[in-house]
Parts: sequence; C-alpha cells; structure tokens
Amino acid sequence: MRIPILKLHEYLLITIQVELDDQTALQFQEDLLNKIHDTGAKGVVIDLTSVDMIDSFIAKVLGDVVRMSKLMGAQVVLTGIQPAVAITLIDLGISMREVPTALDLEQGLDKLQLELEG
Amino acid sequence: MDIQSCVEVCNEWDIVSARQLGRNMAKELGFGNVDQARITTAISELARNIYLYAGSGKICLEPVEQMGRKGLRIIAVDNGPGIRDIRKVMEDGYTTSGGLGAGLPGVKRLMDEFTIDSTINSGTEILATKWLR
Amino acid sequence: MNAAIIDMILNKRMEIDGLWSEEIADYKSTNRAITPYMREQLNNEFLSLLFNHISQGDISADGTLERFFDKVLRANMPLEYLTQGLQSFRRIVLEIITEEDIQKDAAFETYREVDRWMDPILNSVVENSSRLWERTVSIQKSALLELSAPLIPVFQHISVMPLIGTIDTERAKLIMENLLEGVIQYRSQVVLIDITGVPVVDTMVAHHIIQAADAVRLLGSTCILVGIRPEIAQTIVSLGIDLSLFPTKSTLQKGMAKALEITNQQIVNEK
Repeated sequence: MRIPILKLHEYLLITIQVELDDQTALQFQEDLLNKIHDTGAKGVVIDLTSVDMIDSFIAKVLGDVVRMSKLMGAQVVLTGIQPAVAITLIDLGISMREVPTALDLEQGLDKLQLELEG
Repeated sequence: MDIQSCVEVCNEWDIVSARQLGRNMAKELGFGNVDQARITTAISELARNIYLYAGSGKICLEPVEQMGRKGLRIIAVDNGPGIRDIRKVMEDGYTTSGGLGAGLPGVKRLMDEFTIDSTINSGTEILATKWLR
Repeated sequence: MNAAIIDMILNKRMEIDGLWSEEIADYKSTNRAITPYMREQLNNEFLSLLFNHISQGDISADGTLERFFDKVLRANMPLEYLTQGLQSFRRIVLEIITEEDIQKDAAFETYREVDRWMDPILNSVVENSSRLWERTVSIQKSALLELSAPLIPVFQHISVMPLIGTIDTERAKLIMENLLEGVIQYRSQVVLIDITGVPVVDTMVAHHIIQAADAVRLLGSTCILVGIRPEIAQTIVSLGIDLSLFPTKSTLQKGMAKALEITNQQIVNEK
C-alpha cells in the first residue's frame, strides 16, 4: 500500500488515512525522500488527523523522516496529532521535541511559510 | 465474557491484526478514547517485540474482572531466546534493535499492571492489564 | 458471663446510670441543633445498649451497634463520646462489682470477664470508625476529581486552564485529557496553564506539567506556564527541574501578553 504525496507549489502535502503498518511506513519514508529530491520541495506537511495510534516504531519512522528531509533541505511539519495519540506518545516517553507541529493543515502551511521566510 | 481471543504473531501484518483486535475489544468493553489508544499501542509494542526478538509467538486478549472492576488483559507469549537482563530492558532508552527503546517501559506506563516472566532459551511471557476507570 | 455477676450489674442499674451520666456529661455535640433533651436520649440509648449487651448477649455483631454509631455521628458527637462512654462504663461496673465481692481471685476473675465482655464492642467501634473514615476519604477523593480543570477559551486561539489544589497522578491524567480535548475543540494555538492555585510544586507535579506541555506541543499548540510564585521558582530550581523548554511567566497577565504576541493579536484601546 502506498500513501499518496501531493505537490502544492513548493510544498508537499501528505494526509495519512490508512492504518500504518511497518512496511507502509517505511515505503512512505522512501517515497517522500524521492519526491523531495524530484521536486525540490522546501516544505512538507504530514497530516495525522486520521491516525488513531502511533507506537514507538512509527514514531521513530516519523522522527527519522523529519530529520532526513531536513538534510535534503525540506522542513517538515506534523499536523493533526489527536489527543489520545499525544497522550500515548507521552506515556511511551516519546515527546518528539525537535519535530515541528501544528493544529491542522492550514496552520501547518502557515508555519512553514513563516519559517521559510524568516 | 471470559473468552480469550488470540492472534499468532509471525510477520509484520500480524502486528496490525493484533492491535485491531485490541482496539475492538477495548471499545466493546467500554474503554474511553484515550485508553483505547493506550491499549492498542501497548499491543503493538508487545507484538513487535515478539516479531523482532522471538520470531514468532502469540498475543492473547481476555476481559478480566476483579473485585468489581472490569478490565482487559494482554498476554504476550513467545518461545524465543528469553530476556537475559530484565532490569536492563525495563530501562528507558535501552535498545538492541535501533529503536527508540521505549517499548517495554512504555508498555508498563501505558497499562495499569505489568508482569514479565522470562526464561533463557525457553521464552517470555508478559501480562499487562488495563482497568476500566 | 457469670449469671451472678450479670444479676449484680442489673440490680445496680440506677447507680451505674447516675455515675456514668456524670462522667460523660462533658462531651457535647458541635451541632447546636442538638438539644440537652436529645443528648439525654442519646445517653439513655447508649446505656440501654450496654445493659442489653450484658443481659441479652453480644450486640457487637447484629447491627444494633452500627445503627447507634451512625446516629451518634449524625448528631455530630465526637468519637470520644463513644470510647469514653465505654471506658467509663467498664470502670464503674468494675468498681461496683469489686465493692461487693472482695475475695481476691474472684475479683480477678470478674475483672477478666468484664474485660472480655467489653472487647467486642470496643473492636466494633474501632472497625466502624475506620470504615466510616475510609468511606469519607473515598467520597472526598471523587469529589476532588470532580473539581476538574476546565479549559476556558479567552480570545481567539488563546485558552486558559487554571489549576487549583493538589495534583496527583490520577488528577494529572484527567487534567491532561481535558487540556488536549479543549485545545482541539477551541483550536487553541496557545494555552496558558495557571498554577497560582497549586500549593506545592514538587518533582512529581512538575513532571506532570512538563508532560502536559509536551503533549500540547505534539498537537501543534504552545503551552505557557503562568502563576509562578517566588517560592515555587525556588523549589523548581533547587529540585533541578528543567522548565526551560517552554515559556513561563510570573502572572497570567504577562502570559496573556505573550500569548497575544504569539498569535499576532493586539488589544486596542478605542475611544
């Protein structure tokens, strides 16, 4: 299964709407990095509104993808993390402090704009 | 309600089936949104441990009742190599697989009760229970 | 119990009554609605219970004592009224019996009998009061939980959560859930957590607050901790707690100014 990656001007938008299994998550990591390479995108918004569980593996994949993208010159913002998901992440001891977040897609784009201008 | 449901864990897809079973059972038992996520995540961590370290095993779920409280118990069993140093794996950040090392101590925090029983070269059994609030 | 002793005690009922009522007259209810007449009734009932215990057998197990106990507490009488009442009764009975029966070994035997006879009642009083105590504690605990922490939307994108009272693990979980649900509901970009009303901030409380702030950040909102009194700043630093990861302000007012700045809003004075 592949997660679609949309291009909008110099940004990439991803809305994850499937239950993330390990393979899908790793495949997504690879696809996103390739897409950043192909398009030269400067910013990425990954929307997690429909994701109802993030375990330590998926958290690691997401954290890695943020760092990898940054190495390739693209800033990533995670949006729409649900309260229940945030609480379980904190319980697991994962606070992802280095990962930028925003409430929703719109604010995620605003945040990217602000960071890329500033 | 004392029927146990089990999922054999042999590959990555089984991790998904195990946690889906967990979410359904937690919802049926009346757990809230947040506790459903806690239970599902704990199952995911335990199932992944089985897959990564033991190769195969199973995750069983059973509704429990004790002194008027209802809850859900996760039983994770494998016949893998066992855990040499349990104290070590319960430390935050300890990992042998390159993960975040949040697995077992994380599961303990996600659930209300947690016991681990491991014998070298024979396997590991983990019981983790969440009580309805 | 020895029938002769029972008879003796019952025959002296009037005498015992007088002495006993005098000894426990000092115990008064804190409730002014309890009249001296009601007090007398209570005394009479107490004493009849004790005499029944002698003449008709153990009353510690059949619920009579529990009912009386409840009544005493509902009348706001102190617990000492019960314990002193029992002790005085025992003392008076012993005195009266030993006056009559001066033989040494018989006196000793009577002593033991009276003691054994009083024990179940005393035990029952202790048991009852500890059960009542436990019940009160658990009621208060759930009452405290109900003192939940609401998230109040103040301006667009800005909400405040005032925390009042002690924060334990159970309450911290509830606070966290309210906080996060509220952030989503009001789409708050900034949440001010006001700890002015939290009496003690120790490592545990600080840990809960840090976790809440981390979770709020995961949702994509910013947490500002306000209401940090001097003594709290002192304990936080001397305990080595690191709160530098998110903004803190001494007052809600200063925090609000910061929140307005973050959300690009301004309060304008119109003529």
